[in-house]
Amino acid sequence: MKIQQIRRDKDEYMDMLLMADPEREMIESYLDQSEMFALIHGGDVCAVCVVELLKNRKCELKSIVTRMEDRGKGYAKYMIRHICEHYGNQCDTMYAGTGNRKKTLEFLGKCGFVNSHIVANYYLEHYREPVYEGDVRLTDKIYLKKQLDSEINVKKVVDLALEAGRILLKNGAEIFRVDETMTRICKRFHVEYVDTFILSHAIFISAENGMEEAYTKVKQVPLSSSNLGIVAEVNELSREIAEGLVSIEEAMTRLRRIEKMPEKRGYFQVLSAGVGSGCFGYLLGASALESLVAFWIGCLLYIWVLAAKKLRMSKMIVNIVGGVMITALAILAYHLPLPGDVELGGMIIGSIMPLVPGLAFVNAIRDIADSDFLSGTVRMIDALLVFVYIAVGVGVTLSAYNNLGGGLML
Amino acid sequence: MIHGVIMHMVCPFLGTMGYAVLFNVPKRFYLSCGFTGMAGWLVYHVIVTQTLSAAFASFLGTMAVVFLSRVLSVEKKCPITVFLVAGILPLVPGAGIYYTVYYLVTNQLAEASRRGMESVKVAFAIVLGIVFVLAVPGELFQRMAGWRRKVRKG
Repeated sequence: MKIQQIRRDKDEYMDMLLMADPEREMIESYLDQSEMFALIHGGDVCAVCVVELLKNRKCELKSIVTRMEDRGKGYAKYMIRHICEHYGNQCDTMYAGTGNRKKTLEFLGKCGFVNSHIVANYYLEHYREPVYEGDVRLTDKIYLKKQLDSEINVKKVVDLALEAGRILLKNGAEIFRVDETMTRICKRFHVEYVDTFILSHAIFISAENGMEEAYTKVKQVPLSSSNLGIVAEVNELSREIAEGLVSIEEAMTRLRRIEKMPEKRGYFQVLSAGVGSGCFGYLLGASALESLVAFWIGCLLYIWVLAAKKLRMSKMIVNIVGGVMITALAILAYHLPLPGDVELGGMIIGSIMPLVPGLAFVNAIRDIADSDFLSGTVRMIDALLVFVYIAVGVGVTLSAYNNLGGGLML
Repeated sequence: MIHGVIMHMVCPFLGTMGYAVLFNVPKRFYLSCGFTGMAGWLVYHVIVTQTLSAAFASFLGTMAVVFLSRVLSVEKKCPITVFLVAGILPLVPGAGIYYTVYYLVTNQLAEASRRGMESVKVAFAIVLGIVFVLAVPGELFQRMAGWRRKVRKG
């Protein structure tokens, strides 16, 4: 679905325009000095509208028609929103004149038009034939108006783009996705000159709209835990914005709602960590019994991870203590009278997995592959350090255990 | 034998789904994530038992995961990361870290460096796998999605 301005051969759409205005001379009188837009969906022209520019930053919506078979699909409303944005730069007010018909007035009201003035006996004086809409003979022409200045505002658009970018970056999206989304949002709301510079923990954006002053903003985005669900939701929202289905205010409220999206329930996460530990332990060569132990260690480990997240502990502490915990629990299980023999290795390998920084690792590689070297390096160091922390935790515990037994325990 | 094959399909499937939960992947993508992880692991497992080279097997396994993720991300219209991260986890050398540390602590330095180097090799293989498949132009995947839609309709 897209909207195109028709610059040549406007007469081709006369049939459609005649549905709204029965007199050909009347249409021809304004068609040449007006601008025409067509909504194209699936190759067909589904709706057209005509707008005339008036003096003193005003314009008039002369006519808007939807094809018979496409009525009730919201095309006209979509189109009005589009032209309001289009004329937002050059006009303050848009007028629309119509006969006294309840349905049309209600429709325009829904699009944000309010009463302006009435030209009495317009249809009696300007039309040769009596004009009917339904069974009612039209007499007066009712004018409605809409304030346009609220439609486009560089600051608002940039704020929206920045907010979307911040949420994406915070929750573990790649740099190019953040960049693309922000640019897409700006372009969609007709802010043509945008420059973005995105690092793994900061966003710089500068925008200009021809007539207004340049607007620049910087936002710091600390590295934090990621949530791919939020990334997926914002991505979907940006798709809808690009298709023109969402207005700025609507997008902003939806972003707020997306950001507050709750994580999965605690016990569900703990259980998943356990299942992950057990399954991967088995794949990496642990026996069935060891995998079962890994399942329990994985669950306990994740309780710690969640608690630490709530207390906002640093990554270093979380991972080192996590490593210590895994190893200590595995040693404990080794000495418990379990049915059958267990090896330390099998139990530990599986339960390490929930700590492994998969997302940071993958994102680092992708950023570097996209030539975002700066962010890629930062994320890679982030991932490597987590590997080191885990190794330190496991190593310290193993070596303490070994030394306690006089070097004979392992 | 059959028992082993089933376990090597069920475990990566469940395990990957478990990680998808930890990354807060939306519910509707759980199955796709599990499937991606399973495919990657099967490729890895078959090749590692045939050639005994963990790095080469990781490379091909990663390629399978990234390829599937790209297809799925076009199909389901969502960021590729959703499938990629969970799917690649079975291949990340978590065991390598453990054994490196273990041999370090028990003072078997030669073995420790061998394990450490192997983990680094696997990590690089994964990097290469991701970069290779990501370098394929996106239009190809778009077109593939187009074909599939046509087949389904026709």
